Amino acid sequence: MDLGTVLSIILLAPLVSAGLIWLFARQRAVLAMALSLAAAGIILCFSLYILLGGWNGEPYEVTAEWLRLGGLSLSIGFLLNNLSALMLFVVSFVGFWIHLFSVGYMNDDSARGRFFGGLSIFMFSMLGIVLADNLFMLFIFWELVGFSSYMLIGHYLNDEAAQASKKAFITNRVGDFGFLVGIIMVYWTFGTVSLTELDHILEHDKSAVTAIMGLLLFCGVVGKSAQMPLHVWLPDAMAGPTPISALIHAATMVAAGVYFLGRTFLLFTPDALVIISWVGVVTAACAAIWAFGQRDIKKILAYSTLSQLGYMVAGFGMGSLYGLHAHGDSHSALLYGVGASMFHLTTHAFFKALLFLGSGSVIHACHHEQDIFKMGGLYKKMPLTTIAFAAGVLAIAGIPFLSAFFSKDAILYVAMKENYGAFIILSITAILTATYMGRLFFIAFLGKPNSESAEHAHESPWTIVVPLLVLAVFSLLGGYLWMYPKPLQPIIEGWVPHAHGADHTTMIVISLVASVGGLAFAFFFYGRGSATDRLEKIAPPVYGIAKSKFFFDEAYGYYIRKVQDRFAELMAFFDTLLISGILVRGAAGVAGLFGIIARRLHTGSVASYVWWFFAGLILFGAFAGGFLDGLLR
Amino acid sequence: MSIGLEDYIFVSVLLFAIGLFGVLLRKNTLVVFMCLELILSASILALVAFSRYHATPANPLMEGNTFVLFIIAIAACEVAVGLAIIVALWRRNLTVDLDQINELKH
Amino acid sequence: MKEFLFYFFATLTLAPAFFTAISRKPVNAAMNMLLAFVGVAGLLGLLETYFLAILQVMVYAGAIVVLFLFIIMLIDAQKSPAPEFIRFVASLAALVIMAFFGFQLVLGPFAAPYPELPAEAPASLARVFGESLFTRYLLPFQLTGFMLLIAMVGVIVISRKPEAEAKGGEQ
Repeated sequence: MDLGTVLSIILLAPLVSAGLIWLFARQRAVLAMALSLAAAGIILCFSLYILLGGWNGEPYEVTAEWLRLGGLSLSIGFLLNNLSALMLFVVSFVGFWIHLFSVGYMNDDSARGRFFGGLSIFMFSMLGIVLADNLFMLFIFWELVGFSSYMLIGHYLNDEAAQASKKAFITNRVGDFGFLVGIIMVYWTFGTVSLTELDHILEHDKSAVTAIMGLLLFCGVVGKSAQMPLHVWLPDAMAGPTPISALIHAATMVAAGVYFLGRTFLLFTPDALVIISWVGVVTAACAAIWAFGQRDIKKILAYSTLSQLGYMVAGFGMGSLYGLHAHGDSHSALLYGVGASMFHLTTHAFFKALLFLGSGSVIHACHHEQDIFKMGGLYKKMPLTTIAFAAGVLAIAGIPFLSAFFSKDAILYVAMKENYGAFIILSITAILTATYMGRLFFIAFLGKPNSESAEHAHESPWTIVVPLLVLAVFSLLGGYLWMYPKPLQPIIEGWVPHAHGADHTTMIVISLVASVGGLAFAFFFYGRGSATDRLEKIAPPVYGIAKSKFFFDEAYGYYIRKVQDRFAELMAFFDTLLISGILVRGAAGVAGLFGIIARRLHTGSVASYVWWFFAGLILFGAFAGGFLDGLLR
Repeated sequence: MSIGLEDYIFVSVLLFAIGLFGVLLRKNTLVVFMCLELILSASILALVAFSRYHATPANPLMEGNTFVLFIIAIAACEVAVGLAIIVALWRRNLTVDLDQINELKH
Repeated sequence: MKEFLFYFFATLTLAPAFFTAISRKPVNAAMNMLLAFVGVAGLLGLLETYFLAILQVMVYAGAIVVLFLFIIMLIDAQKSPAPEFIRFVASLAALVIMAFFGFQLVLGPFAAPYPELPAEAPASLARVFGESLFTRYLLPFQLTGFMLLIAMVGVIVISRKPEAEAKGGEQ
């Protein structure tokens, strides 16, 4: 089969599914479920077909003009290279298992049609980002994932979900504004937005790239991948259903920012890369601290996601800088940043999806109890979930020779080579990561049940457990080359920076200390299945700092209340006066006046119509006879 | 003085004007309808006169005449339908006075 | 002779036409219309289109006038009251203006020069008609026939009594 056809099927299958659900299955939950699952299955099958032999590994591009506005040509096309193949694999693989999980998890939801339709829309949008061959198409799908994220966060229709979905949408919009300006700037500078053409231009001459261009593009990443200071939406987005948190807000959509960085890595100058690195480092560290102030299992995972995204962004920045400094200004040198961030993205997609799905399984079993201090002792009730969750915790903590060990190591290694301060911060973050994940695991799963609902917990159905186990396997082994299809191996093998010699030993020691130390500290400090937070009891100020999240929400709230609302009121006043007062009502009044006159003419009497007919006849006659020439000339 | 095309057109125009005069003047739907028929006849006359005066031996068909044939056929339809409508109106309102038939307004 | 015939038929057309417009009894109007149609037929004959002249007499003077008379009888049309003076004057003004504009259009300074009457008319108009109707104008001809059918059906539908009323009558 033609590769373009296969890619089209992959992209359109979820759209067709969403359309069918919208048309026929809004009230038929089982049909909607089947359609959505079938679409996810088709995507997975065709992706595997591409990766296991349908594609020779050479970059493949097919493009068609979509519309032309003057000199600006917007095209739609696919660009399949190693990078997008890796992302395609992540999205389709994780996406399918999360679809399967949703079938079990959402079985008592009343609006499953809407949920699965939204899920399909999301898959469509996300695959659009993955396959897009130019920045405009990428931007369109970028907005579409924002929309589907908005729709799915607000799935439960309660006040919290509504606020969270609005927050996510608006926060993303702030970043996307910079993103759009950046894209326009790229178009202005290079005259094209096609990724391939940009690559060709930039390979030979990078002089036209400016730092501001890269930073504007990075704005979009800051919004979508929830970096400081636009991170505030991601924890709130946990108000959505848990599969959504797993798929959109952990594994794929938030990682789209990192993927975008990899897709356009040549557009970032060293200056921009330094700023990008530090944004990532600060996000990683702060989010890890904030995770200690949370009691909600999903919120803890959300901050963990923030922290890991910070790692990826930092890895991109530092890796690119490392490549530049170590190997000079060559094309392949920059790939170190892409490799480091994308490798971590991939392993993170596995273990974070696993952790979220595990938390979903727990929440499902505990009748929507999300407070870890009200759980405890779940290992007896839900052995399979516990084993899978433990695999995820070990992986994210960075226990040597599990998946995140390799990917986090690559990032720490480039940080060590590039900037020692950043390296220390990231290492401490690694310790913190192991600690808060240990806290979560030991309190929720070990010890004794702390509440009614935890006592009555029971193992989840197979649709939930099977995805957990599959993802657990990938979380444990995702760092090994042989786990990946052949076309993806160049990224893992060649692009990811590896430590050698003494550095290699150092990295292993750091990882071992950070992961085992963090977990052990959590084990002894927080205790097993305790009902209260020990940190809160011993050192309330420290706990308070972590819980305050450094007052970002308060600062934004203050700004919106004091500045933005005032401005909005002013605009509303002008709107009432000018737009709706004069323009709208005025126009309506004029139209109404004509209506009154026209109604007078409509007498219903045939005779008067004949008179009007006669008048028209005379007018026409006068015109044809030349009597009006004087008037018209 | 021989009779030229303009004389026929003169008659046609007058017939048309008289028809219009009748349509405007009368209230009885039937008579208004008759006057409409006169207007139609005026157009028939003009068409035939023009086509007769523009006929050549090479083109003996005189296309206008063909149109007239169709006009007569259509006029027959029109009269049939129109009269049926008048009958229906009369059956409904018991009048054929145009000034009293103003249901279009409501 | 031809001139005399022209003036005769022109008068036969215009005078009854005017009486059609002003006569207060519908029957009188119909009879005057008949005369006007005959006059038009005469003018068509003068133009040597005898076939159309015969059609004019048959269709208009025959069928249509009879239909009118039939309807007049059916709905028992009475003598109308005399029109209001103002309406009469306005309509007459319309007549004058219309005629004036008509002359301006076709006979005034802007009109094209009129051709002379060609010496000879086509020999057999009916035959030319027949040939053209069944070759070049076959489709319009068929459509006209179809239209007559539609008109017939339409007339039946329109003039039928409403069903509820018909049922009420039976009971």
